[in-house]
Amino acid sequence: MTVTRRTAIGIGVGAAATALVGTELGREWWFDREPASPPPQNGQGKLVWRNWSGSASGYPSVRAAPNSEDALVDLLRKTPAPIRPVGAGHSFTSLVPTDGTLLSLDQMSGILNHDASGNRATVWAGTRLGDLGPALAAIGQEMLSLPDINKQSLGGALGTATHGTGEQYQALHGSVRSFRLATAGGDILECSAQQNPDVFFAARVGLGAFGVITQVTLQNTAVQRVRKRTFVQSTEKTAAEWNSLCAAHRKVEFFALPFTGLSAVVTTDPTDADVIPRGADLDTESLMSLKRLRDLCGWIPPLRRRLARSALTGEPEELAVDDSWKLLSNERPVRFNEMEFHLPREAQMAAMLEVLAAIEADHREVFFPLELRSIAKDEAWLSPFHERESGSIAVHAYYKDDYTRLFAQIEPILRRHGGRPHWGKLHSLKARELEALYPRWRDAMNVRQSLDPQGRFLNPYLRELFIHA
Amino acid sequence: MRGWLVGCFVFSCMLCGCSRESPPSPSEAARAATLRPADERLAALYDHSCRACHANAQANAPLSGDRAAWLSRLKKGMPELVRNVLTGFNGMPPGGQCFTCTPADFEALIAFMSKDMP
Repeated sequence: MTVTRRTAIGIGVGAAATALVGTELGREWWFDREPASPPPQNGQGKLVWRNWSGSASGYPSVRAAPNSEDALVDLLRKTPAPIRPVGAGHSFTSLVPTDGTLLSLDQMSGILNHDASGNRATVWAGTRLGDLGPALAAIGQEMLSLPDINKQSLGGALGTATHGTGEQYQALHGSVRSFRLATAGGDILECSAQQNPDVFFAARVGLGAFGVITQVTLQNTAVQRVRKRTFVQSTEKTAAEWNSLCAAHRKVEFFALPFTGLSAVVTTDPTDADVIPRGADLDTESLMSLKRLRDLCGWIPPLRRRLARSALTGEPEELAVDDSWKLLSNERPVRFNEMEFHLPREAQMAAMLEVLAAIEADHREVFFPLELRSIAKDEAWLSPFHERESGSIAVHAYYKDDYTRLFAQIEPILRRHGGRPHWGKLHSLKARELEALYPRWRDAMNVRQSLDPQGRFLNPYLRELFIHA
Repeated sequence: MRGWLVGCFVFSCMLCGCSRESPPSPSEAARAATLRPADERLAALYDHSCRACHANAQANAPLSGDRAAWLSRLKKGMPELVRNVLTGFNGMPPGGQCFTCTPADFEALIAFMSKDMP
């Protein structure tokens, strides 16, 4: 059989096309395979509990959801330890896994009462932030600050020092004026700056290890209309302008996109303009496009950079005008794992550039942006923002990607710049290292010991955090 | 050259996007927001967990009452679906963020959300 030149070329082109499609589909399969899961039940027939990202899991022997403080107190006296409160399971660290009692406050949810003139509201700690927004709006109030995601419970968000952004805005726990704490001994303590002040300052960011916060009185603000702008510019320019951006806008954050040289900057400022509702979820679309770009040409960084820049450069800015609580938080339906450290604000940009360089040198698998925010200092003893104006750097890994090598390389950079870890996000620090970062650490530990001498709220992970080996 | 680069990007998007579902219409999204199980206990569980994503078009989850979006999932069989709920699968967070739900609750909630509702 004679093979003509045209046939040979056709076969060659066909083979190349098949190889290209096959390679692409193979890479897709490789990158999109589901990570291994723990068994749905253990040998004793207990159901698995797993956090949102899948990074932590356990098999609690008891799952409890009391519907009142009395029921909670009764439970705390006799239920098997470790007792671990769970909100929405959005912490990436192993704060929750227990083979004792998994305690949900889902049935202790909603607004108890409010003070219209002072914009204060007392809220059950089991209330999810996504439900709290409209509930507060119905009484003309909104929270002063909101995190990027609104799925968390109020108690979980406060206990891990969850935060939003804004040079003048404290993390969520900064708005707490008082709370009620159910202790391991079955007491209810009223806590504020005037009443049980040591417990107020120690347990406000308490990781669910001091007791169970049941009710919280929040200092809110009247509902405010804001203009939210999102625009893309070079990361170099954003880093150079960061201080002036923070000073010029009520709230600002940016997402630095590795392998592109670009950042998406998000500013939020008060306005009286007519409502422009937030549109379709372009963040998720953009994120998955960055994933496709990683999948296709992650192994050729210059091509990846050129494609991303041609797709993103010159994009018109996104604009939305609405009540603040509707625009500050996002759905974030793509699951991920996260490390976040809070640095002295003056160290934030240098650390960010170092982290970006490390990712671009050694971690071509990364397609999630870094998230950069600013947070005002506060007084809570275990707050990562304790007495320090802070700038945060968050590094994300797709939940199907192995994050261990990435986070192990990034953490030393963030620590070298003076970072304190977010309590709900992945880090490797233990009691000895943490004590060196928190001036009131010993005071907080003494309060915890006095409230829970038997350590009924401590699981193995918390023992490593709080008790020296 | 620029056209070729963009072509590569489009090619990738086409390959990866071939299995994506069409987004729900505004009327489907509006209907999902109004649906709630008749049983009060189940409705409370739904309100605390499922509703945040399955009544919200921006969450990219199959909407309550959108039978067409649920069909491909239902083909896996209820035991596999409940297993996926318990351990998490793709965008579905483990336990559906309902940490006091039993497997029977998950079955009832899936049955409710996947019903074809007017």
